[in-house]
Amino acid sequence: MNPDLYILWAAAIATLGVYTILYRENPISRLFEHIFVGLSAGYLIVATWTLNLEGKWWNPMIHDKKWYWIFAPIVGALFYFIYSRRLGWLARLIMGLFFGTAAGTFFRQFFPIYSPQIYACFKPLDYQAGMGLQGVIFELVLHNWIFVIILLTVMSYFFFSIPHEGRFGRNLGRSAVLGRWFLMIAFGAMFGNTVMARISLFIGRMQFLLKDWLGSLLPWLAGRGI
Amino acid sequence: MSAPQPTTLSDRIQQIPRHYVYLLLAGVVVWQLLFPIRLPITPSVPTRGVYDAVAAVPDDKLIIITTDWDASTQAETGPQTQAVIHACFQNHKKFVIMNLQPPMGVKLAQDLAQEAAAEYGAVYGVDYANWGYKYGYENVLMAMAKNIPNAIGDDFYGKPVGELPLMQGVEDIHAIGLVVIVTGLSAMTEMWVGLIQGPYNTPLAAAYTAVMAPIYYPYLDSDQLKGMLVGAKGAAELEAMVDRPGKAVAIMNVQSWAHVLIIALILLGNLGYLFARGRGGERQP
Amino acid sequence: MWFSRLLQRLFPPAPTPAALYLYLALAVVGSIVIIVALHRLLGPRGRRWLIAFVTFIAGLFFGLEYFYPVHGDPAKNFLTDWIEPVSVMLTVVGAFTVGLGIYSLLQVHGRNLAQRRPGWHNSLAFFLATFAMLVFGMWEHYLHLPQPPPEVVPWPKGIYEILFNGLFAPLQAATFSLLAFYIASAAYRAFRVRTGEAALMMAAAFIVMIGQVPVGAWLTSFIPADSPAAFFRLEMLGEWVLRWLNTPAQRGIIFGIAVGALAMSLRIWLSLERGTFFSEQS
Repeated sequence: MNPDLYILWAAAIATLGVYTILYRENPISRLFEHIFVGLSAGYLIVATWTLNLEGKWWNPMIHDKKWYWIFAPIVGALFYFIYSRRLGWLARLIMGLFFGTAAGTFFRQFFPIYSPQIYACFKPLDYQAGMGLQGVIFELVLHNWIFVIILLTVMSYFFFSIPHEGRFGRNLGRSAVLGRWFLMIAFGAMFGNTVMARISLFIGRMQFLLKDWLGSLLPWLAGRGI
Repeated sequence: MSAPQPTTLSDRIQQIPRHYVYLLLAGVVVWQLLFPIRLPITPSVPTRGVYDAVAAVPDDKLIIITTDWDASTQAETGPQTQAVIHACFQNHKKFVIMNLQPPMGVKLAQDLAQEAAAEYGAVYGVDYANWGYKYGYENVLMAMAKNIPNAIGDDFYGKPVGELPLMQGVEDIHAIGLVVIVTGLSAMTEMWVGLIQGPYNTPLAAAYTAVMAPIYYPYLDSDQLKGMLVGAKGAAELEAMVDRPGKAVAIMNVQSWAHVLIIALILLGNLGYLFARGRGGERQP
Repeated sequence: MWFSRLLQRLFPPAPTPAALYLYLALAVVGSIVIIVALHRLLGPRGRRWLIAFVTFIAGLFFGLEYFYPVHGDPAKNFLTDWIEPVSVMLTVVGAFTVGLGIYSLLQVHGRNLAQRRPGWHNSLAFFLATFAMLVFGMWEHYLHLPQPPPEVVPWPKGIYEILFNGLFAPLQAATFSLLAFYIASAAYRAFRVRTGEAALMMAAAFIVMIGQVPVGAWLTSFIPADSPAAFFRLEMLGEWVLRWLNTPAQRGIIFGIAVGALAMSLRIWLSLERGTFFSEQS
């Protein structure tokens, strides 16, 4: 069986079916949404079994006769007691195990992630190379000053526990206002990138519809370099 | 209760029906796909960093390409993965694909790798492999750091990874020369940085969707990331560097005019708003 | 490794298939007995202590292994050899949680179908899709096709490819591609320059949007790349905004998140947190 043609037409019909929602909510798009959720659920089970449980649990337990692996599903089954009011504490027991693991893992990751970030904040601000750095040029030093000012003002914006009263508080307040302005620049940059990302997704679908699907019917389209 | 009909020019400018906006966007995209205005693409510094990181991997080490993406971001992460795979093959570097979430990514990436492998005559299991989707997030990484065959188990096709030829001599994280994270999910980078790059100094590069990329510029600044592909733009730049212009380059041709349209619409809306403010009113919600 | 040897001694592999099934059955029965005993013997206070103890030990193990001094070559401490087997065990245990989400979906759609609620045919489609992907996904896996697969494939593999590449992936891609329309419409309707901050955000957005695309580079291509004015080329300006204005702001946000996450992790590790999942009243 060569499924390519069926794949092409199924994908085109599915894509157009979803796009009908742009006109208005309708039964066709809702049907395809449910199909998508069903396929997703089915694939999750398949992938979990074939790529994880079969190799790391079933084969060692059954083929290598390492019977102690039976404790894994027993412990994992404790999660399902979340649906029981009386035995719900067992689910919290296993969740506590995973929450503790997550907390401990975060402690492990904290310094490797954030200490280089902190270290990278200390940029040379003196362009006379007095810090032993060769080739510290004026533009770089100017950029470093901009960097440090933005960083400090943005961090000051997040000091919510210090009231903006008194001499220190008022200055902190001014710094926080400046930090908010710089944050708006960052959010603007994020918005610009977000637009780019979202539009890319649609362009990708149109590439499929025009080149792969319609291109199979109209050779002129397939050769357009879409 | 339906919104009141726009009466003045400023209201009409601010309340163009959404279906017209959708049609405009679709029209611009279709126009540019069919009749592209091709403009040159110049690789940026972050993209060069990814290519240089791949080229710098010692020949006796593996590259891990983590494909933590699915069809929802395929338009960006698919070409990114494909470009990185081409860079690996062209530089004669062996690589493995794996994924921590979501499961779909490894199948989509395997299809891309197979397509590229046919072009270079690469053989699965010898030149590249697919470790598959591994559930467990940090636990997988911590286990991998100590013992890769035990942590990974079976590959994408159900074969124990230890039996693959390219896995000979690969015991722990020290056998890995580079990890390229291709993802549309946040938190993956922090895991790899915190558990692999930081403790073991394993070089890390990344390819993100454009939405996420601004968040990870600090990691470029601190040299925790050697390079970064930013959405379809980064993919297009890497495609240009590996001389395989593909979908990403086509996307960027279209992207230009879509952005011009969005900017024009925003300016139009603000023009209407200014007119309304000048008259002493604002747009009705 | 000493841990493997210890495990082999305490839990030796079963010598025969019959012994294996006996050991499995005994392990299941024994575990049920222990769980029932825990449930009967521990009151609310005892349960809270047990949960807090398990949470603390789990966090202590991973945290302590990182911070405890190491020695020898390769450098390790008394916990290092436990990391890999414990992590693998946790990944396997965690994999069994796949059923939680699936059960919720089955419950909701099953109820729709059983009670013939409006839209029940959508729930039927859900079940059919789940069943089809499950059956053909497993079937395809156990076909053990050669790599690369042949052009003409067995029909179960063909059906699986239709389900995956013909429906699953395109449906997801199409659903998320709708965001392009929504962002265009939302940006047009809601992005109003009412304040100076909004104007700054819009200016940054425009510079980045145009600087990231080829037309931005084309618009200012008349500025020589090696001249002092090259800074004003839109692609350079966009990159500069991202590199020198966005980066420090994002780093400030990262530090705020880091401190908050550290505090939260400490609260969870020490079982100080209250609310959903953390107390009886959920």
